[in-house]
Amino acid sequence: MSTPSTWDVIVIGGGHNGLVTAAYLARAGKRVLVLERRHLVGGAAVTEEIFPGFKFSVFSYVVSLLRPEIIRDLDLPRHGLEILPLESTVTPLDNGDYLAAWGDPDKTRREIARHSLRDAEAMTEFGRLMHHMAQAVKPILGMMPPDPTSLSPRELTGLLRFGRHFRDLGAERFQALYKLMTMSSADYLDEWFETDALKATKSASGIIGTFLGPRSPGTAYVLLHHYMGEIDGSFRAWGFAKGGTGAISESIAGAARRFGAEIRTDAGVSKVIVRRGGASGVVLDNGDELRARVVVSSLDPRRTFLQLVGDDQLPDEFVADIRRFKFRGSSGKVNLALGQLPNFTCLPGLGPHLRGAISISPSVDYLERAYDDAKYGEFSRSPYMDIIIPSMIDPGMAPPGRHVMSVFVQYAPYQVNGGWTDAKREAFGDAVVDTITRYAPNLKQAILHRQVVTPADIERTTGLTEGNIFQGELSLHQLFFLRPAPRWAQYRTPIRRLYQCGAGTHPGGGIMGASGRLAALRILSDGR
Amino acid sequence: MTRELILIGGGINGLVAAAYLAKAGVKVLLLEARDALGGLAGASDPIPGFRCDLGGSDAGWLLPDIAEDLQLGAAGLELVSPQACVCSPQEGGRALTLWADPARTAEEISRFSPEDAHRWPEFVAQIARFAGLLEAVYAVAPPQVPDPDGRDIGTLLRLGMRLRRLGKREMVEFLRVAPMSVAEWLDDWFKSDALKGALGAGGITRIFQGPRGAGTAFVFLHHQVGRPAGAVRGAHYVRGGPGALAEILVNVAKGFGAEIRTTAPVREVVVRDGKAIGVALETGEHLAARQVVSSVDPRRTFGRMLDAGQLDPEFLRAAQNIKCRGAVATVHLALSELPRFSGTTEEALGGTVTIAPSLDYLEHAYDDAKYGSVSRRPHLEVRIPTLLEPSLAPAGKHLVTTQLQYAPYRLRPDGWDDRAREQVADLAIETLTAYAPNVRRNVIGRHVVTPKDLEDGYGLTEGHAYHGELTLDQILFMRPVAGWARYRTPIEGLYLCGAGTHPGGGLAGAAGRNAAREILKERRA
Repeated sequence: MSTPSTWDVIVIGGGHNGLVTAAYLARAGKRVLVLERRHLVGGAAVTEEIFPGFKFSVFSYVVSLLRPEIIRDLDLPRHGLEILPLESTVTPLDNGDYLAAWGDPDKTRREIARHSLRDAEAMTEFGRLMHHMAQAVKPILGMMPPDPTSLSPRELTGLLRFGRHFRDLGAERFQALYKLMTMSSADYLDEWFETDALKATKSASGIIGTFLGPRSPGTAYVLLHHYMGEIDGSFRAWGFAKGGTGAISESIAGAARRFGAEIRTDAGVSKVIVRRGGASGVVLDNGDELRARVVVSSLDPRRTFLQLVGDDQLPDEFVADIRRFKFRGSSGKVNLALGQLPNFTCLPGLGPHLRGAISISPSVDYLERAYDDAKYGEFSRSPYMDIIIPSMIDPGMAPPGRHVMSVFVQYAPYQVNGGWTDAKREAFGDAVVDTITRYAPNLKQAILHRQVVTPADIERTTGLTEGNIFQGELSLHQLFFLRPAPRWAQYRTPIRRLYQCGAGTHPGGGIMGASGRLAALRILSDGR
Repeated sequence: MTRELILIGGGINGLVAAAYLAKAGVKVLLLEARDALGGLAGASDPIPGFRCDLGGSDAGWLLPDIAEDLQLGAAGLELVSPQACVCSPQEGGRALTLWADPARTAEEISRFSPEDAHRWPEFVAQIARFAGLLEAVYAVAPPQVPDPDGRDIGTLLRLGMRLRRLGKREMVEFLRVAPMSVAEWLDDWFKSDALKGALGAGGITRIFQGPRGAGTAFVFLHHQVGRPAGAVRGAHYVRGGPGALAEILVNVAKGFGAEIRTTAPVREVVVRDGKAIGVALETGEHLAARQVVSSVDPRRTFGRMLDAGQLDPEFLRAAQNIKCRGAVATVHLALSELPRFSGTTEEALGGTVTIAPSLDYLEHAYDDAKYGSVSRRPHLEVRIPTLLEPSLAPAGKHLVTTQLQYAPYRLRPDGWDDRAREQVADLAIETLTAYAPNVRRNVIGRHVVTPKDLEDGYGLTEGHAYHGELTLDQILFMRPVAGWARYRTPIEGLYLCGAGTHPGGGLAGAAGRNAAREILKERRA
C-alpha cells in the first residue's frame, strides 16, 4: 500500500460530520484518513437498495439544515449534491378533511383560513417572528460554545461575544427566544393559533428525535428549525436529496477525496491508542494499528469515550458525565416498496400532496397519547408519522410505475418492554401500516415489500447508541456548553490530540454538518 | 383626599408589602375584598368545629430575613419545624420518611436502597448549595436581561460571583440541572422508586406538568429555598394554626401605621393620562392615591381591573398568556381519630404525608389531567395540623388537609359542579384509605375547594395559588411579563407585589418584600 505509515489526522466514522471534518482538514492541507466500519459511507445518511430496484434513504430521509457555508466551501453541488424541494405538508384529519401548507404562502393562508380566519391572520405575524428568531439562532449554530467556568481571556471574550449577541437582539426578541427555548411547543402555539391540527402539525417538528411529548417544555425551540432552512436565500436547504440522503454523504466524501483525503470502508475501529494522556492512533477491528498525530471521532460520546478510549484513561468526573448523557432513541422508520400510489381519502387520486410530506398528526392530544405509550415502554399504538414518497420527487428511487414510501415514526422507544424482538418489530410495522391505512385505505394492498427499522436496528446498523438519531437527546440540559459534557463542549477531549466531531457535540443532529465543521476549525486553530 | 399609597389584596404578600412600606413611613391603605385577611393562609371553618386554611397550614416557606426585618418574632411568630419532613407510605405497608436530620434519613433510606442511602449526604449538600444560590437570586429584583442597566450590572456581577463560588463543577451543574426534568435528575442520583417518588413530588408542586416535564428540577429547587440544610422537602407550621401568620402580619403592619379595610373589593384601578390615580370599589366608592400596588394576580390585575384601552395590546396579550392552570383541589377531612398509615409512627406524620410511591405514579396522575380529567390515582400532599395544635378540632378529633393533584381547572367535559366536587372528596378518601385503612370509616366531615372555587372565592385566575405557574418561561426576568419583572407596570404609579411576580409562590412574602423595596427605592430617587 502506498499509504504513509503516519497520518496527520484519522477520522473515526464516515457519517456526514466525520466526512465534513475530513474535507475541511484535507482542504487545509492535512493528510487525512477516514475509517468507516460499514461498506458504505454516510452513517445514518445512506441510500441503499433494500429491495431490488427500490432505493431507500434507510434512516435520515430529509435535509433541512445543511449549513450553506459547508455547501459553498466544499462545493458540494459539483460533487453531485442536488436538493429537490419538498414544498407541502398535508395533514389528513379524522373527519375526512385535511389541513395543508403549500409552497405558496398565499395558497397556504387561504387553506388555513378555511379552518380559521384568526389563524390565517396570525400566521403572517408568526412567520415573521419565527424568521427573526431563526436569524437570531443561526449564528449560534456556527459558534464555538464558550466555557462558562473558565476565566481565561479567550473564554471570557467568547462569553462576552455570546452575551453581546443576545444584547444585540434587543429585549423583545431575546425574550421571545427565551420563551421558545423553555416552553413546550403546544403551549407556545396555543398563544398563537386555535386550529388543533395546525398546532399538532407544527408541534410535531418539536418532538422529532426527542423523548418528549408536545406538551413537554423544551420542545418549542425545534419549531425554529423549519424556518431556518427556508431563509438560506441562495440555496434552498429544505428538501430531499436527489438519489436519497446517501447522495449528500457521497458528495461530501467526493469533496474530501478531491482535497486529498483517503476514505476506507469496511474498516471498523476497535480502540483509540492513548499514550501518556495523548492519542496516537487507532486499532482496527482486524488488529491493524494506524498512527496519526490527531484522532477525531465522529461517533457518539458514549461509544467514543467508553468503548474506544475506555473509562480507565479518563477522569472519573468526565466518565460520570458521559454515562449520564441521555440517548433514549424514540423513533423508528418504516420503508415501503409500493406497487401503486397510496390513495388518501381526504385528497383522492394523484395530486401535488404526494410530492410533499404527509403528516399524521391530527391533534395535539393524538401526539401526546402517542408519547404516553412510549413513556411506559411501549411503541405508540397510533404513532406520529412523517411520510414522504421519494419516487414522486426523484423517479430514480423506484422501478417505473412503482414507488417507495418513507415513513418516519415516533414513538418507538429503544427500551421497549420485553426488548425489540422480531415479533415486536413486525407488530410495530403493523401498527404503522394500520394507522396510515385509516387515511389511505389502499395502502395495505399496495405494499410489495416492507422494511421496519426500530431504534435497536438503528443502533445495530449505524452504531448510534440507543438508536438516538441525534447522538444524544437535544434537551436543554444537553445543548451548547453542556454538549456532550460541561467543559468539554469545544470538540476537545480530556485526551490530548483526541477530538470529537459528531452530532453529540454542539449544535447537534440533523444533517447539518456544523459539528464537523466546527471541530475541524478547532483542530486547525489548535495548530494540530 | 389623596392617599399616598393604596395596596389591593390582603394575602400574605400584600400584608408583607404593606408592613415594609408602612415601616418606611409610607401611609398605606390596604383593601381586601373578603371579610378576612390572609388570602389562602386565612382561617376558615367550613366544617363546624374545625379550623382550616387552604395552604394546608403552609403559606409557603417564610424567609428568615423577612421575619427579622419585620420583627415578627416579637409580634408572636413562632415557627415549628417537625423532625419529619415528608413521609411517603408505600403499597404493601411500608413507608419512607425523610427527616430533617440527614443521618437519620440515610438510615431510613438504607431500608430501601443502601446505595441511595450512601449518596444521600452528597445530595443534601448539593441541594443546600443550589437553594442558597437561588435564595440570593430571590432577594433582589431580577436584572433586566439581556440589556442590563448600571444597577443591574452590579447585581449580575454579584450573582455571577455567587455562582462561581459554587466552584467550577457545581456552577455548571446548577445550569445543567435547573432546566432538567426532576425525574431525569433523580434518576441520575437514585435507584429507589419510593425515594424518587417522595422527592419527585416536590418538583410538581402546583404545576400542570408531570415529573418528566423539563424544568421540574427547578421547581424542586425553588421549594427548597430558605429551608434548613438537610431538611429536604421540609415542612413548617406557624404556631397558632391557620390564620396565625396573617394575624401577626396584620398587627405588625398596623403597628407601623398601615390602615386596613376588609370587605372592600376593588373593581378598577383608575387611570388618567397613563397614570394610576386611585381605585374604584365595587360599591362605587372612589379612593384617590398617588401610588397603587396590586397583590392580585397579574392576569386579573391587567385583564379585569384595568380598562383594556389603557394598555398596549402586545402587553395585554402577554399578560393574558400567563399560564395559570390550576391543578390542585384542597380536600379537608374531619376525622374522629388519627389516620393510621401502615409502617409509620405518629412522629413520621408530623410533616407532610405524600402519596407519591413512584415517579411513574406521578406521571400517570398527570396523564389523566392532560386530557382534562381528575387523576384516577392522584398525588396527595397531606397535612395533619391537629397533631401540633389539637385545639384546631374538637377533643380527640383530627383535621386532615389534603392537596389533591391533579384536579385540572378545565375539567372535561362539563367543568366543576357539585357532583365533580363530591367525587374529588371521595377520591381523596379512597386514596388515603388505601394507605391508612381507618380513614374511610372515621370521616365525620369533609369540604372541597376546587380550582374553580379558588377563582370564584379568592380571585385567583384559573385557581392557581401562585398566580402563575413556576415554569422556566415564567420565572426571573420573565415573571410576570417579559420586560416588566421589576414590580412596575406600563401604568405609571401602578405596581405589582403578589406571587405573580418574582420570586413567585411558595415563599411567603418574598415577592411582597422585593416589591416594597423597589417602590421605596423609586420614591427616594
